[in-house]
Amino acid sequence: MASEKWTGTPPGTPPGTPPGTPPGTATAMVTGTGVVLPGAKDAADLLAPEPLEAVGRVGPERLPSGRGARKKDRATLLALAAAALALTDAGLLDDEGLCVPGDTVGTVVSSNLGNLDTVCRVVESLSRDGTAGVSALDLPNASSNVIASSVAIRFGLRGANFTLCNGATSGLDAVGWAALAVETGRVTRVLVIGVEPANAVVERLAGGDAPVRLLDGSGAVVLESSASVRARGRGARATVARYTRRRDLTTAVGVATDGGARVGLWLPPQGETRAERAPAGLGEFGDVCDLGRTLPSASGALGVLQCAAATAWLADPGRRHNAAPTALAAAGGGATDDAAAAVLLTTA
Amino acid sequence: MTSAYAKPTSTEPASPDAASPVPTSPAPSSDGPGTAWAIAGTGLVTSVGADTGEVFEALCAARTGLGELRAFDTTRLRTRHAFEIGDRPGPDTPLLATEWLCRAVAEAARDAGLTEDLSDVPVLVGTGLRELRSVELAWLGRASFDLVDLHFGRALRERFGACDTHTFAGACSASLYTLALAADLLTADRADTVVVAAADTITASMYGLLDRVQTATPRAVRPFDRDRQGQLLGDGAAALVLRRNGPGHAVLRSVGLHCDARHVTAPDVEGIVTTLRQAHERAGIGPDDVNLVCAQGTGTLVNDAAEAEALARVFAPCGDDGGPLVTAVEAMTGHTSGCSGLLGTVIAVESLRTGRVPPTVGLRDPIGPASVLRFTTEGPLVAPELTTAQVNAFGFGGLNAAAIVGKAA
Repeated sequence: MASEKWTGTPPGTPPGTPPGTPPGTATAMVTGTGVVLPGAKDAADLLAPEPLEAVGRVGPERLPSGRGARKKDRATLLALAAAALALTDAGLLDDEGLCVPGDTVGTVVSSNLGNLDTVCRVVESLSRDGTAGVSALDLPNASSNVIASSVAIRFGLRGANFTLCNGATSGLDAVGWAALAVETGRVTRVLVIGVEPANAVVERLAGGDAPVRLLDGSGAVVLESSASVRARGRGARATVARYTRRRDLTTAVGVATDGGARVGLWLPPQGETRAERAPAGLGEFGDVCDLGRTLPSASGALGVLQCAAATAWLADPGRRHNAAPTALAAAGGGATDDAAAAVLLTTA
Repeated sequence: MTSAYAKPTSTEPASPDAASPVPTSPAPSSDGPGTAWAIAGTGLVTSVGADTGEVFEALCAARTGLGELRAFDTTRLRTRHAFEIGDRPGPDTPLLATEWLCRAVAEAARDAGLTEDLSDVPVLVGTGLRELRSVELAWLGRASFDLVDLHFGRALRERFGACDTHTFAGACSASLYTLALAADLLTADRADTVVVAAADTITASMYGLLDRVQTATPRAVRPFDRDRQGQLLGDGAAALVLRRNGPGHAVLRSVGLHCDARHVTAPDVEGIVTTLRQAHERAGIGPDDVNLVCAQGTGTLVNDAAEAEALARVFAPCGDDGGPLVTAVEAMTGHTSGCSGLLGTVIAVESLRTGRVPPTVGLRDPIGPASVLRFTTEGPLVAPELTTAQVNAFGFGGLNAAAIVGKAA
């Protein structure tokens, strides 16, 4: 990686791009966040150093209810709740619905375990009772894109709509692809959601006989082009400066920091690679947000929660003190992971 | 330009033949008029063949991969038929989609003159059902399966050394979405070569739910026919290598993406029309310029009706007999879920390259809106004048995608 080509926004670049900038030169900025976790009501709560009371499940009072919610699986309900919070926080949603044309808003979801409960329940019923044992209402839930489609339908989001199921790095990958969609002008805004449900099926599949603690919750960030941020006259909270997915954590961190940019907030992966073992090349960092210590295994939700937390930190000068105005989130890189990913965010 | 996604490497493999590049536009705009990325290699594994050549020959010869389903017990189901890849080692084996994916990627890489070392090449995989069949087997206690392999990253790393790998689960348009994102990587100058791939194996849950939902129990697939009974699932994997510079078998000119945001399963004509027009606009062409459509044509009642109506509307300006040829191959391959869009793309590439178009097997009496479309019902059709093909893929949730593929210069 000696001659790594880096085409990203250097930290400290003035926000926004000049009027009339052609497509392909936009910068993706964070304009809203939403967090639906037991023990956390918003992104700033993720910065708490002590473990959140995130064992157990999100209470029903925080999830959509009523007729439209009845046929939805749990991951979809968690995602809908985070989506509403983030869109509202970004000023894109009010009591009358979406405030911008639906065609301008894309949806990117990250979830590894989202529809496993439906798939396993259906295959068990089929093997026991045949076709008569299954319900047509499960058909959409058997397809892994059901979360993103349901969110798009609920809020009228007609831009590109896709789902990352990419293992430990999936949430950061989703943020990276969403930023690309904004940068290339494919969409003006993207709602990015990371979500995982806790249920008996995924707990058994993930842990076998050993009990595992899995996250039940969701997080969302809204990415928006710098031109749109300016046109709407709203402040952005952070800028997505870099995304990369590499063979190991050290390499990913090296690429994301361009071989040594100072990191104000370090958000390490969950799992084996912990904060105290910060990878070589990271250098000094100011502050740590270790979701591996404060949350159960968050799988596909992790990267989005990290970016939400990083946004809250970057947007709050009181928290940052004299630390560098950058936050680096990393995921994966463990013994069973296929790769490691990193996202560098900077102040808006 | 600014771009958050770091380019995989600055030491990309050199173009095998830099002296005769296909026309490309390095301008960092979206895949707009004039952009054309080289499709440098392809790979396919389906029920009718184990590589691109075998599959395309079989399709042109109207051979079908239809048979009675073997992967799992169907005695308590109504539907019994499917299009399974033949060398299945037996029933109930995990990781089949992963195996077929690796075969398709290896073929595409070889075809493009790449080695099997893809450590510096992004690999984007579109899938409807991931390794959910393996999850089913694990849940039923018939196999052990590590959830880490639910996505394809670990296998792609072990086999090809690939690390910048991404598994996208996006229903039946997944692989065209993936193709669009691969094009975006080239547009944003973050890669010079990208492998786009797709894989799907039939899950018992999806097969059983379709059995529950479909009124009839199809024993064959009849795209756009009045007597169509519904869709039948098929196994499939596809791959292609997309490069900034040629040579290539064909060129990718655009991919349009759109979401109806109307219903979790039902299609929407307006949304499909919007998607097709977006694909044309991004390629800088009009409906008159398209002379081949690789339709999705799943053989379902509502999907075929919506697709036919959308095609009729979009190509209405071409006048009677002026519209493109339309082919649909799912009577031979089955519905390969997330793989279907990339399978259609490879068929379009082969048709542009060879001037032959597979017949639309199973179509005898077109449904109303399809009666104005020029189907390739006799085949294989020899059409050496083809220059521009459109590939359709539509998924649950109104996830619509359409690609425009051009003949290589």
